[in-house]
Amino acid sequence: MSILVENNLIKNENEDIFEQKSHYIPCKIEQDGSANVKKYFDPYIVENNSQELSATFRGHPLDGTQITFPEGYRAVLVTETKRPLTEDAERKFQVTGGFKNFTYWNWDKKPSKNDDLCKAMDWIEIAEAIHGD
Amino acid sequence: MNSLQELQAIIKSKDNFTKFVINSEVPAVCKNEPCMLGVDEAGRGPVLGPMVYGVSYCPLNRKSILEELGCADSKALTEAKRDEIFTKMLTEEDSLNNVGWAVEVISPNYISNSMYRRAKCSLNEVSMNSAIDLIKKAAESGVNITEVYVDTVGPPEKYQTKLSEIFPSYKITVAKKADSIYPIVSAASIVAKVTRDHALKVWHFNEGLQLDHTEFGSGYPGDPLTKKFIRDRIDNVFGYPLLVRFSWSTAELMLQEKAAACTFEDVDDPGKGKSKSTKTISSFFTLKTEDSKPRKRHKFFEERHLSTCTDFD
Repeated sequence: MSILVENNLIKNENEDIFEQKSHYIPCKIEQDGSANVKKYFDPYIVENNSQELSATFRGHPLDGTQITFPEGYRAVLVTETKRPLTEDAERKFQVTGGFKNFTYWNWDKKPSKNDDLCKAMDWIEIAEAIHGD
Repeated sequence: MNSLQELQAIIKSKDNFTKFVINSEVPAVCKNEPCMLGVDEAGRGPVLGPMVYGVSYCPLNRKSILEELGCADSKALTEAKRDEIFTKMLTEEDSLNNVGWAVEVISPNYISNSMYRRAKCSLNEVSMNSAIDLIKKAAESGVNITEVYVDTVGPPEKYQTKLSEIFPSYKITVAKKADSIYPIVSAASIVAKVTRDHALKVWHFNEGLQLDHTEFGSGYPGDPLTKKFIRDRIDNVFGYPLLVRFSWSTAELMLQEKAAACTFEDVDDPGKGKSKSTKTISSFFTLKTEDSKPRKRHKFFEERHLSTCTDFD
């Protein structure tokens, strides 16, 4: 199976589309599609004096922090218009946007270096040491 | 503050997703004379809107003022009558010079967040903490408290013991329906109820919903308008605007049925770690077929949930 990614946005002059706002929410939500973040989530993000963030999702208290990807990395959003019926067919994705930093949220726990997602970033440095020139 | 309009303006100026205290000035006489203080709450049961805790206090020998104001069982009073009594408390000389009050407005979001913490904090705990804080604040601002009367829905004994431990020098009375027995508790109850009613009247939806209280009702799950609101105002991802107490079963059940399923991690899953139970004796005597275990990746990757995946072309 091969995966093909098309980037029709390469000539796009609007850089904002690759610097969108993004949130990592500590729960599984069974919905794939748009979400009314601006109306239902953003108004409740509060920053305290030591730059710690708090918010709420479905009644749950959240603690958050800003995470920026390491140098040379960024997130890209891709969508697939139609998933092929067979397993080994070629799959085609379109680039639809991206982000360079995101807000990481924990459920009622201050984000720390010990969180899985933050630890996962370690790999980037280690991979560089193992595989780099 | 000398009118209910001003009360509304103050409520409006506060964030309606946290909690805040509004209080009167402490009458000079309350700093010198021994005082009684009453505690009651409003809006404990509704699925919509804040819960409000109220305290009121006055010198022991000025109890008659409360009766003159008309402080009696607040449940027997109409909304208009309660508004009238509170307005008198804000304007009449005799009341201003003798009776003080304070309320804490606890937002629905504060309630949901407390009940949905990792270590759950029950509504009883939220309530008790609010009552304790209000009593402490009154004492700190100089009120010479000697007697405290508290209305409770639960068993009074435990509550009474706890309060007596925290405030050993006060004579504390916790009773069911204290609201209808002690005028000072009725006064606290009226202050709390009026504040809750007006908090709903001026509720501002940060979510941008153009609705007012005549469209979502009293907030009690039995109210048809409230029922309709809970049924119809669902956002598939976020559930409800923060007027709603997510932790109420009415809201929980409706979201389970009508919104996208949402699961948070389990706190300390008790089933965890039990899967590797002790082997049975007989298992050592049966022939083992070497099961082909997939190669296990290093712990480093497992802890970080990293897995290899296909490269893009």
